[in-house]
Amino acid sequence: MTQYESIIGLETHIQLNTQSKIFCSCKADSWLDAPNSNICPVCTGLPGVLPVLNRKAVEKAMLLASAMQAEIQPVSFFDRKNYFYPDLPKGYQISQYDMPLARGGFIDLPIPDSTGQNTTSYTRRIGITKLHLEEDAGKTKNIGGERQIDFNRCGVPLVEMVTGPDLRTAEEAAHYLFRLRQLLRWIDISEGDMEKGHLRCDANVSIRPVGVDYLNPKTEIKNVNSIDAVRDAISKEIERQIRETEAGQKIEAWTLEWDEDRGILKKMRSKETEADYRYFREPDLLALRIDDAWQNEVVSIQPELPLQRRQRFMNAYQLPEYDADILTSEKKLSDFFETATKAYPGDSKKISNWIMNDLLRILKDRNMQIDQMQLQPADLVEIITMVENGLINTSTGKSLIEKVEDSHQRPSEIVRSENLTRVSDESAIISACKEVLAENPTEVASYKAGKPTLMGWFVGQVMRKTKGKTDPEKAKEIFETLLH
Amino acid sequence: MGICDLPAHQIAKMVRLREISAVEVLDASLDRIQQVDGRSGTLNPGEITNDDKQKVHAFISITTDLARAQAKAVDQKLAAGEDVGELAGVPVSIKDIFCVQGTHSTAASRILADFISPYTASPVNRLEAAGAVIMGKVNLDEFTYGSSNESSAFQPAPRNPWNTNHVPGGSSGGSAASVASGEVALSLGTDTAGSIRQPASFCGVVGLKPTYGRVSRYGLIAFASSLDCPGPIARNVRDAAMMLKIIAGADPHDSTAATHPIDDYLVSIEKNIKGKRIGLSPDYFRITYPDPVSGSFQQQAVTHEIEQPVRHAAEVLSDLGAEIIEDIPMPNTRHGIPAFFVISRVEAASNLHRYDGVKYGYRTPIQTDDLRLMYRRTRGEAFGLQPKLRILMGMYVSAAQYSEQYYMRALKVRSLIRQDFHEAFNPTGKYRLDALLTPTTPTPAFEMGAVYGDSVMMQYADQLTVPANHAGIPAISLPGGISSTGLPLGIQLLGPDFSESTLLSIAYAYESATSGESWRSSRPKVLS
Repeated sequence: MTQYESIIGLETHIQLNTQSKIFCSCKADSWLDAPNSNICPVCTGLPGVLPVLNRKAVEKAMLLASAMQAEIQPVSFFDRKNYFYPDLPKGYQISQYDMPLARGGFIDLPIPDSTGQNTTSYTRRIGITKLHLEEDAGKTKNIGGERQIDFNRCGVPLVEMVTGPDLRTAEEAAHYLFRLRQLLRWIDISEGDMEKGHLRCDANVSIRPVGVDYLNPKTEIKNVNSIDAVRDAISKEIERQIRETEAGQKIEAWTLEWDEDRGILKKMRSKETEADYRYFREPDLLALRIDDAWQNEVVSIQPELPLQRRQRFMNAYQLPEYDADILTSEKKLSDFFETATKAYPGDSKKISNWIMNDLLRILKDRNMQIDQMQLQPADLVEIITMVENGLINTSTGKSLIEKVEDSHQRPSEIVRSENLTRVSDESAIISACKEVLAENPTEVASYKAGKPTLMGWFVGQVMRKTKGKTDPEKAKEIFETLLH
Repeated sequence: MGICDLPAHQIAKMVRLREISAVEVLDASLDRIQQVDGRSGTLNPGEITNDDKQKVHAFISITTDLARAQAKAVDQKLAAGEDVGELAGVPVSIKDIFCVQGTHSTAASRILADFISPYTASPVNRLEAAGAVIMGKVNLDEFTYGSSNESSAFQPAPRNPWNTNHVPGGSSGGSAASVASGEVALSLGTDTAGSIRQPASFCGVVGLKPTYGRVSRYGLIAFASSLDCPGPIARNVRDAAMMLKIIAGADPHDSTAATHPIDDYLVSIEKNIKGKRIGLSPDYFRITYPDPVSGSFQQQAVTHEIEQPVRHAAEVLSDLGAEIIEDIPMPNTRHGIPAFFVISRVEAASNLHRYDGVKYGYRTPIQTDDLRLMYRRTRGEAFGLQPKLRILMGMYVSAAQYSEQYYMRALKVRSLIRQDFHEAFNPTGKYRLDALLTPTTPTPAFEMGAVYGDSVMMQYADQLTVPANHAGIPAISLPGGISSTGLPLGIQLLGPDFSESTLLSIAYAYESATSGESWRSSRPKVLS
């Protein structure tokens, strides 16, 4: 039987998180706003209006281009893409066509093995063929035989970014989107939320026998609204293409729509019936010129990128790949780690453990972002240091994180005010143990009569008496001596 | 002669000196409209009567209440000793292709007949801020698509004040007619292929098409966005200069509006023209047009009557110290109309997409569940012949399989036309011209109905004006004489980018030097 490989390219639309729209001063983000509440003559295409380009949108697109190693073009143009649709108020979309903002570029995608430990099994280089700016259209809803149109989204800035046919599996496609979303948030150009449409994806899929270098006709899958859906839809389409090819059928260049609820692909149209958009230069906008000075100014604020930082954490702090991956999942978390580890003379892995085991759990429980926490990197270092110096025990240390959140006090203040210092004076522990035995003659008798499980109960009593500051191992040792 | 026939700068001065109130000027203007305009254009005009045929019909809507409020505001400010602006109390008409807040902004089309704009176009804003009194919206060819005003959906169409059997020209026909007949002192027009200059020439007034981008297009309902220029129509050069100074300049709402500094054109006009190099080109004394039967191109010299005012102006300017340089080659002039046909239609078809019955304007009354059918009916019922022709041609020449041989080729021709001007105006080149002097139009105003219906030949009326639009350069049309049939003849001056000052100074020198010539005392027939 023929072995096939799949050839996948992704076309993504990225909603930029600018304050205002791309060609007017209306608010860009209309999440939860009433329909048609963020509109003006310009974005609703009234007669006589003209677009004026939002510089910030250009700068955000430049940041993405630079992060993808793409070449920002010194001159690019806007064009009109003409088609009729009720939610496209001008009857054309202002986009970029043959002279886009950036060309080329790539991302080296670490593809993890199947162990679930985030260890890389191989790296795939995904090329970027085109990156351009355009305006979004509105939204149409069909309700009760009525077509309702919301123009709020008209003119929201989008970047369209297209990969080469470089992805080979549905899993790789999912990873590309995962890394892209991470990057968008990292460089703060988009919220990257697929469910909210901040990040939209169309997938081009074809198959070919392993070993050949030609490309077969591809199908385009539209309307996939989550990373899981992209993975599922592509897998289904690859299966279908293999099945059809094996059955002697030709794959035709269809456009398919993913039906999320039913988990199936539906044919939307054949490519042959696709519209002629009659692109031509948008005469209402000047050429977009980006000189070196502007580019340098924008790109100079670009932070270290997530995959670079991930690698550096592995090299500089000897972190396992698993730790480095999680700690660089978002920029603020990685900043927290790095600030903490720089302030801590010991092993970075210890900081990593505390963050991954305790901090992330608390963030999840409290549904918080790391930068919303009271706990600062220095606080974490202080807690770890107090544990290491034997000033407090480990469980006190862990509970301190929560206490800092609740009390808004620094860890050392809490230890002082609540007298949490570990009881290390042996005579104090002995007298506490003696008190416990004297107060509980029945339990002592039971223990001596052959119920050793009561040992835990005795230790618990001491812990209560000393407000948890006793080392339980030590207490157990003393009880064993006293009860012997 | 009355207040209405005074130059705008003189009216403004009298108002400012409180020799006359803005309200009195307004009333005089309303009286003149009452006297000469006849009924305003409407969608359902019924029969065009003999009486209609004696009137100008410049207006689509006369906004008396707004005008009165503006006039009163000017008078109140004056009484309070406040600044009232350079156009204080001057009656102005606005071509109904500009949006003015709270007024019908129709583009002379059924599809926008009920559209009331929620915002005001930038040049209109500037006129209002300078104290102008906006009398209303004047008629035009539907969406500016024409050179006679006959294609307006609002009939009766404007007529030429010099002879109401003739067209006023177009597309700014209502503008030129309203200024020529003294209904207003100034009008804001637009010029895409000659739409300011040709009607100015036909109606015996001054029309200035500024450099592309000199005046903001914000609020101008677009025809061909890369060619459209708002500009002044006035009865004399000084008024045109004054109006340009007010409407020109950068605009945060129009990124194609030039940031180039604005000259004080009122100072510029007084400048001596000694030593200015003014060219004449044989390519502007003939027209090239397609034979209606064979389709092959024919060439024909313009008549002596058209050439004569240009030759006369050259003599006058020479006497004033200008240097006249003959035989300037402008070989690509003849390609102006075909290239315009293609470029303007592609942009026009796209610009018309927004009129789809969804958001504003006309929607077919026939209920349908089929979206495509709603589009087709709405556009089929509400666009007139000219928009339909332009959509068809625009869609054809921009289609993927034809775009290269038509649209891309037309853009190359456009560069060649600009190159002609570059050669002529290049300060270190062979000719080093300050301006080119030409006829504005190949004929005087034609009779109503004489050309209408032949969309191709109608377009050739713009042959001598369209090159300036392709090149983006400024051009001005001036009254240059009266034809044997008593119709005005226009002469045109063209100059390099942002040379409005130079053009205005030459125009003003010519106007002053010829003020005593006998043809200057002729008056439009509607005023006699």
